[in-house]
Amino acid sequence: MRIATTVNGVRYERDVEPRTLLVDFLREDLDLVGTHIGCEHGVCGTCTVLMNGETIRSCITFAVQADGQEITTVESLANGAMHPLQEAFWEKQGLQCGYCTPGMLLRASEILAENPDPTREEVKAGLASNLCRCTGYAFIVDAVLDAAERMRTEARA
Amino acid sequence: MKPAPFTYHRASSASEAVAMLASAGEEASVLAGGQSLVPLMNFRVAQPAHLVDINYVDELDYIRLDDGWLAIGARTRQAAVERSEEVARAAPLITEALGQVAHPPVRHRGTVVGSVVHADPAAELPAVVLALDGEIVLRGPDGERRVAAGEFFTGALMTARRPGELVTEVRVPAAGGDGDGHAIVEFSRRHADFAVAGAAVSGGAIALFGVADTPVRASDAERLLAEGGASADVAAAATDGLQPNEDVHGGAAYRRRVARACVERALARARGGAS
Amino acid sequence: MTTTEHPPTRVHKERTWVGQSIRRLEDPKFLLGKGGYIDDMRVRGMLHAALVRSPHAHARITSIDTSAAKALPGVFAVVTGAEAAEITNPMPDFGPAADKHVWRCLAVDKVRYVGEGVVAVLAESRYVAEDAADLVRVEYDLLEAVVDPEKAARDGAPLVHDALGSNVAYERTFQFGDVDGDFAAADVVVKDRLRWRRSGGQPLETVGAIASFDRGTGMMTINTNTLSFTSYLFMLAGTLQIPDNKLDVIPHPAGGSFGSKLFATKVSAIAGMLSKVSGRPVKYVEDRIDNLANCDHHGSDRVYDVELALTRAGIMTSLRIKTVDDYGAYIQFGVGHHGNALAQVTGPYRIKSVEYGVTAVLTNKCQQGAYRGFGSEVNNWMLERMVDMAAKELDLDPVEIRRRNFIGKDEFPYFIPTGNVYDSGDYEAVLDKALELADLDHWRAEQAKARAEGRYIGIGLVTCQERSVFSATEFWFWFDEPAAPVTSMPESVTLRVGALGDITATLYSCAFWGNSPETMVAQLVAEEFGCEPHAVSVVYAGTRNGLPATGPGGSRTTVMLAGAVEGAAERIKDKAIKVAEHLLEASPDDLEWADGGVQVKGSPEQRKSLGDIAIQTHLFKHSLPEEIESGLEASKVYDHPYTTMPSADRKNLGVFYPFVGHACHIPIVEVDAQTGEVRFLKYIAVHDCGTLVNPRSLAGHITGGTVQGIGTALHEEYVYGAEDGNLLTQSYMDYLIPTAMEAPEFVIGHCETPSPWTPHGIKGGGEGGRMMAPAAIAAAIDDALAPLGVRATELPATPARIVGWIEAAGGA
Repeated sequence: MRIATTVNGVRYERDVEPRTLLVDFLREDLDLVGTHIGCEHGVCGTCTVLMNGETIRSCITFAVQADGQEITTVESLANGAMHPLQEAFWEKQGLQCGYCTPGMLLRASEILAENPDPTREEVKAGLASNLCRCTGYAFIVDAVLDAAERMRTEARA
Repeated sequence: MKPAPFTYHRASSASEAVAMLASAGEEASVLAGGQSLVPLMNFRVAQPAHLVDINYVDELDYIRLDDGWLAIGARTRQAAVERSEEVARAAPLITEALGQVAHPPVRHRGTVVGSVVHADPAAELPAVVLALDGEIVLRGPDGERRVAAGEFFTGALMTARRPGELVTEVRVPAAGGDGDGHAIVEFSRRHADFAVAGAAVSGGAIALFGVADTPVRASDAERLLAEGGASADVAAAATDGLQPNEDVHGGAAYRRRVARACVERALARARGGAS
Repeated sequence: MTTTEHPPTRVHKERTWVGQSIRRLEDPKFLLGKGGYIDDMRVRGMLHAALVRSPHAHARITSIDTSAAKALPGVFAVVTGAEAAEITNPMPDFGPAADKHVWRCLAVDKVRYVGEGVVAVLAESRYVAEDAADLVRVEYDLLEAVVDPEKAARDGAPLVHDALGSNVAYERTFQFGDVDGDFAAADVVVKDRLRWRRSGGQPLETVGAIASFDRGTGMMTINTNTLSFTSYLFMLAGTLQIPDNKLDVIPHPAGGSFGSKLFATKVSAIAGMLSKVSGRPVKYVEDRIDNLANCDHHGSDRVYDVELALTRAGIMTSLRIKTVDDYGAYIQFGVGHHGNALAQVTGPYRIKSVEYGVTAVLTNKCQQGAYRGFGSEVNNWMLERMVDMAAKELDLDPVEIRRRNFIGKDEFPYFIPTGNVYDSGDYEAVLDKALELADLDHWRAEQAKARAEGRYIGIGLVTCQERSVFSATEFWFWFDEPAAPVTSMPESVTLRVGALGDITATLYSCAFWGNSPETMVAQLVAEEFGCEPHAVSVVYAGTRNGLPATGPGGSRTTVMLAGAVEGAAERIKDKAIKVAEHLLEASPDDLEWADGGVQVKGSPEQRKSLGDIAIQTHLFKHSLPEEIESGLEASKVYDHPYTTMPSADRKNLGVFYPFVGHACHIPIVEVDAQTGEVRFLKYIAVHDCGTLVNPRSLAGHITGGTVQGIGTALHEEYVYGAEDGNLLTQSYMDYLIPTAMEAPEFVIGHCETPSPWTPHGIKGGGEGGRMMAPAAIAAAIDDALAPLGVRATELPATPARIVGWIEAAGGA
């Protein structure tokens, strides 16, 4: 089936099998390998992307469901320079193996978009959707709070 | 874990979806949020030959008050229902329950109707609809029918839906605003997991989930509650006769114990919240 | 190099870069989504593999019909286990009788666990490969499954391997010191039966490989996320029936491992075999079910019968340990997990004698491999459970009993009864710091308040060891006449100084798993040469051009890389000084290395920077003496610095894990007595891993390891059905990894008691959090439910188990 989808602001038209998972479409058809596969049953959140600005799990979404929609992946975050979230994750060591990181960054961006000044508990509750096996989450939460401050400062400027 | 091949049908209207389901026959599943269906397809536990996609059926995306009922259309996302002020007024138990349904990314796609139709024994929304004496609206080739929640859930992942029927709406009586206490309390292994057991209470209704193949109304316990029974006794009455399934998360006796605690705690919260 | 005594005692210098929490070199690519994981790679002409897995725990394969699968368009090959056995040899296996418990990449005549691979399918896409896998028809004759290890050990139990004649793959009791005498003299003996059930690393990235067999050159190139133990890769070559010098394994960053990618060769073997069959590059990446069920790296699965002997004053004198370990259907690493236990079996205490009986039993489950702690974390849990039992028996405060038994800070190096040594430590300092951070008075008050309200708050406290840097002797000291008494466990680094003075460090097989080898090496190189760590380029070599290396495991990486960097740096500096002699017209005795260059002692203005020297060596050969070769590059193969041989009677196992850190964990929990839920109120952790190269990096491993330990303690278990051996936890819906909501708020403290024997005094510390947490959490549960008389003797302490304990103790 032919679909047309906008990914990171670029419009693509492609033929896909209906059963092709969105994560495979992104990785294999569009060579956007920043979105990762963790469980393929919608539990771990490693495959998180944004559809029309909201986080979804691309391993349990078919590419045909992205037809006419806007998809955002981790590759869109940096714009020449790293996004404040990426800088904060780097500074606070919010990653070790990096595998959950793209999903975490996008989920974190959503948490901060909904609440630019969250408490630690709110960040933790928000991130519960995304598993990390390396960090124990402590530094990820630190990074998100640090990014929030950076972004609030930027917004004020 | 890639899904098996299927023929994909994209509906642009409810009637088109019904027609597609009718022609596809027994081997068809409806694709709404897909948050329950697609994992099963990735496991190849579910291998529908046909998928009827209703994600492009805008007419089924609604939340409306309709003659004393709160009606939610089949394409309405859980996140939208969770945010809705109308729902918060008319069926606050639904609003509260949604906060415990999986995680926000799942609720961005998952639908309220989809969760009810999927009928997982440990899911919150079927029990909530049961507690609220809701109705399920089905549309088939022969027209529309409504099934009371009490008759809709027939087994684990099984409902009264017939092949070829599309569930277009779930509706519950809109709350009268008289401040009936309500609460949903569940225990899950981790935050946001399916419940090991749980209880939804609203007004005088008590519905349990995770304790049987379907959600269960604890009618004996409701009678005792109406008669002014103490929470501990009501909770015992609600759970003593249950025969929950056993799995890696707990045996039958354990689930009964957890269910009892959930009923007690839900009653306490509901009482605390009642105006 | 075998040594019979300890390495020279070092005087540690002042440090500039070692000890800084710099941002990691590794991170930018991962943050940008350009990690370069194995599944990100694509090779022209590449095909995709999937497995048909066994649905049965134990069954004979009576027939396999692959015709429908082969006929599916897009399918290139369908290979049964029997066909694979004609073109591959058994898997690399360090087990006690590898010719009897034969392990192959696919099951041949019978299947031995749910999930074992039976048929491999090769197709144009993973989707089609799975379609074809569904079309393979396998007929089985069911056999009785053997699931309980103690039953499996009995005569008459169904045999997992007929050729072995028994399900007991190994059994031996070791005696270190005068156990009988110490027990006879004891005032008090506490005894218990403890059960630790298997969990596993479960990184979010599974094992994957792309194998390319070139029929023209005979070269097998394998790109994979599981390169380690390069010196043993001839075993993988043997499995693939190719010469060892025709195998090139190229490492990719791994999305986590925690041990489960340590020498995990099956995926590479299957991909390599299919590449030979098809002549095409083959990608095989496990899906999540493959990894849960068929990964070959499940964790320890033990029953303990243990006794601890003490004096009336609470001094521990002796330990009698009998353990049955359920290894699953194969036993690739032998009982090495128990070597990890024996390295620190007596904990931080002065226990004088130990009896250690281990029975390794085979059952119809996935086999064990490595999981963070590699078997020592289980011993920590067992020992601390007994210490707490003794404290209760003697009415001693848990802190006090530990203080009375600690090895004192002036008693190092301290040899424990097994023969291993603890290089250094200051256990009182770690405990005191943890207590200071924990504010126990506050929590005891909270506990009292909670009890009055019918709620249960508990405080756990444990003090445990975390050994690092294992020796090869641990593989074979189990046998009086080992077939291969190997002694090498090296790590290598090559340093290259370019013409402009820039430095490149090459790592060999030192896999990136989420640890920080690049950052560690960069900081160590910066320390040596005075450059900026982020200016160091760190690259990874494949095995074809590789020096001997082992990779991560047993928390060895940082120490071993430090030794290799130091050695290579020394060689660079030697040559640099020789060049500088010439450039400065000075004699070697007048020159010293300082501030990133060579200068005349006492005349710092007479100096040549590394860059000055480097450009000479690269471009101006004729300005240099004959014997100085062009270029400025040096390698060091750093062998294990302190290994001694076991005694012939095995009453002394020698030194095999000498750099030993220590930690104190104090979790504060609340237990819901109705549901059995355990919630964390706080988690205090103080670790002493010697000198820290990057404190923040270690803190990350402490929090990450502790949360894995929380998973082990409360949530995670591979559950096999008691009757049929079915794996009941085949997805992340049932195998429960902690989310951010199950993770506690941490208070982390550091102590640094340097090792006297390693560069900068570094010790390993990557495993530590998981090595302490299960023991600590069990203690916290006991403390919370003390009014109900509960003792946590099994793990994971799931909510249902905790409720079971409460009910058994008579509670409601």
